[in-house]
Amino acid sequence: MRVPVGVRVGVFALIVMGGYTYFANSIPQIESKPPQELSLEGGNVTPAQLVKAGEEIFHTKGSCEICHRIGQKGTRAPDLAGIGARAGKTKPGMSAKQYILESLLQPGAYVVEGYPNIMPQVDKPPIGLNRSEVWALTAFLESLGGTVDVTLNDIPPTVGAAAAGGGAAAEVKLPGDPKAGEAIFAGKAGCIACHKAGKVGASPVGPDLSHIAKIQTSEYIMKKILDPVGSGTVAGYPKGVMPPIFGQTLTAKEYVDLVAFLLTLK
Amino acid sequence: MRDFRVVRQAGWALLPVATLLLAMAALPADAQEAAKEPAYRAFPLLGSRLAVWAIAQLHLNFAAFILGVPIFAVIIEIIGWRTAQERYDWLSHQFVKLTFAAFSTTALLGSFLLFLFVAYYPRFWMYMTSIFFPTYGIYALLFFAETFTVYLWYYGWDWLSGPRKWIHVGLGVLSNLFGTAILLVANSWVTFMMSPAGIDESGALKGSVWAAINNYTWMPINIHRLIANIVFGGTIAAAYAAFRFLGATSDEERARYDWMGYVGNFVALSAFIVLPFAGYYLGREVYAFNQTMGITMMGGFMSWLWIIQAILIGILFLGSNYYLWLGMERIPGSERYRKYVPPMLIILTLGFLIWATPRTLVVTMDEVRAMGGTHHPVIGVFGVMSAKNTVVNLMILTTFLSYVLYRRANRVSTRSWAGTGMAVQWAAMGIAAAIVTYYGVKGYFVESIVRIGYSVYQVEAVLGAIVVVMAIDIPMFRGARSTGAIRWGTIAPRSQYVLILLAVTFTWLMGLMGFARSGIRQHWHVYGVMRDNSVDAVTPALGYAANVITIVTIVFFALVTFIFWLGGLGERGQAAGHAHAAAPVLAGGSNPRR
Repeated sequence: MRVPVGVRVGVFALIVMGGYTYFANSIPQIESKPPQELSLEGGNVTPAQLVKAGEEIFHTKGSCEICHRIGQKGTRAPDLAGIGARAGKTKPGMSAKQYILESLLQPGAYVVEGYPNIMPQVDKPPIGLNRSEVWALTAFLESLGGTVDVTLNDIPPTVGAAAAGGGAAAEVKLPGDPKAGEAIFAGKAGCIACHKAGKVGASPVGPDLSHIAKIQTSEYIMKKILDPVGSGTVAGYPKGVMPPIFGQTLTAKEYVDLVAFLLTLK
Repeated sequence: MRDFRVVRQAGWALLPVATLLLAMAALPADAQEAAKEPAYRAFPLLGSRLAVWAIAQLHLNFAAFILGVPIFAVIIEIIGWRTAQERYDWLSHQFVKLTFAAFSTTALLGSFLLFLFVAYYPRFWMYMTSIFFPTYGIYALLFFAETFTVYLWYYGWDWLSGPRKWIHVGLGVLSNLFGTAILLVANSWVTFMMSPAGIDESGALKGSVWAAINNYTWMPINIHRLIANIVFGGTIAAAYAAFRFLGATSDEERARYDWMGYVGNFVALSAFIVLPFAGYYLGREVYAFNQTMGITMMGGFMSWLWIIQAILIGILFLGSNYYLWLGMERIPGSERYRKYVPPMLIILTLGFLIWATPRTLVVTMDEVRAMGGTHHPVIGVFGVMSAKNTVVNLMILTTFLSYVLYRRANRVSTRSWAGTGMAVQWAAMGIAAAIVTYYGVKGYFVESIVRIGYSVYQVEAVLGAIVVVMAIDIPMFRGARSTGAIRWGTIAPRSQYVLILLAVTFTWLMGLMGFARSGIRQHWHVYGVMRDNSVDAVTPALGYAANVITIVTIVFFALVTFIFWLGGLGERGQAAGHAHAAAPVLAGGSNPRR
């Protein structure tokens, strides 16, 4: 029996594509996941926790590993082994943390000889580290041969202001009423039981939200209210305390009002 | 009846324009409602990302075909017109017929894609509109112009023949200009997402929209896509011819489609040889825009993608050469050149293996110890750009040599200076190979920033050799003595499967490169400006991407087959009345002037 040309050609094409698909599935499978936001402000963080968080950022959101190695000379960027000790001696009059911060926030200010000036500002998109993350990353780099002495106050308050990458169109302009939201914060939602928000509340159970709109994106705030577990827990605070019930207990208007209030906290 | 079909098809083709105009009319209302709009909606079952991915890729495949084929169809028509050879006119008409059949489907897919963006990514769509609104009207106007010109070109084939042929050719040229302009407009949107420009820190347009259009990757992608469209169009047209060849019932028909397949492949191969250079240019501009993006693309989570790309391009090179070698068997006099096939095969195979060698491998600690490091002491050397750039340039040179030998297979130059001419040709190719190898080896001993510059010298050496060889070849073989006519239709049937392999591989490669272009934005809709906060923000691994690409490619070929079948149905019964349905006889009739 003679097989029709269409069938022969079709089977041949399927075998070819099947081969490509099989090969692509047989090599290492690496996904690129969006980075998680880290917030340490208002939390009691030990230097060890800070360094650990910074190491995580170094390997993930910071994208540092694309060019830098620790203990291995790179072709694109300097080896960072011992940077904590070396940083204080690189530029006269500049301490280790000042030099590291300058390298992260204004990388073109001093370029190590023999390397191209290609490093992006880490607090600007697309890397877009926020203030907490820059703090943690600085601590991690200091720990590579030096002493961790960086504090949150060393990080300029403007750092990470453009990090969210929301752009003009992504900016959320909710029709909510901040005054009504403040009432919900203190009343029906009961946020005041754990959080401080400017002049409202004083509880230290959860992080201080007095500047939450400045340090976090609107998307994060909105998600955190509805999905507190999935949005992560601020370092230094116990996990699972914040109830995941606000999606059910608040009406749509109350939710929007509450978010509108939180977005005024700058 | 045919008139009704014209109206109906034109209606389908204009659907996306109507959709776009409706979207534009709705904009003020959309702007007011923007704050209340959700950022994303979920497409049923598939999810929004997969729906957009599949439809965008299908639309791109069809668009590439209908934009690429007319470019060489009009050139073939001009050749037929100026040389008064009917067979070229027939071939050009055949190619345009294929394009025409796919025109409505392209338009429908474009409309569907627009609908998906507006409905499922409303905030992203609003943002893009805030930047590119002025271009929407231009796009719509161009689409009108393209539609009317192509329809007039296709249906006016007989009407505008004879002394009015120049008008017809002018329509073909005009439809290509409109088509290219459409491509440039659409590219401005997609490249802005990759390498945004002309905006302030908040993402708002600073001045003229031109700054956003003329971003870093716009011109490289324009060039790359234009060339790739020609390759794609050539491979699909050749695959169509191969299909018809395999099902042919007469020698005449077999000869006709053998020739059509040869021309399609020749077009694809000619454009394919320069495509890697356009790829270099695009890669260089990606690095110029943002080093992090460039490094992520080549050395980050996507590094394995380039191994797959190398394998696919290696198959395209080997397949194209194999087809030419098989084709030489039907050319009397080609025996003189058979001795060159084994060395060329060795160069291509070694090049393929080196290009596909990964820099790093997934290894166990025992294997690392056995190798003395994370890189293999021997094959690890071939995993770097120096080796890959070198072999791809040598593969291009080898493929060009195959073409040159095929071109002269049944011809003997009668020029008195033929010996010197050939010596200069060999010298040009030898010098180019030496320059490519020299910079390839030297690249191992310099910094990466210097090494990147070497690839320019390598490319220039190869292009220079191609120009020199052709500049000598054309006058050297003008009026050459023929050793016999090409026996069209006698090529081995397996050669037709090679043409199908090339079409399938190139389509799959287009899907892969589409994933690469889109995937390097990672979790950004507009890189560094507008973040992807949807549930689909994860950029998937290659295995998942390959599954999607394969399914989309299968759907594409199924649709193409169906559309061509439909197109064939429409022509049955009217062959006698249509000047171009009756094709010229080709068997054994190769024109020695070719």
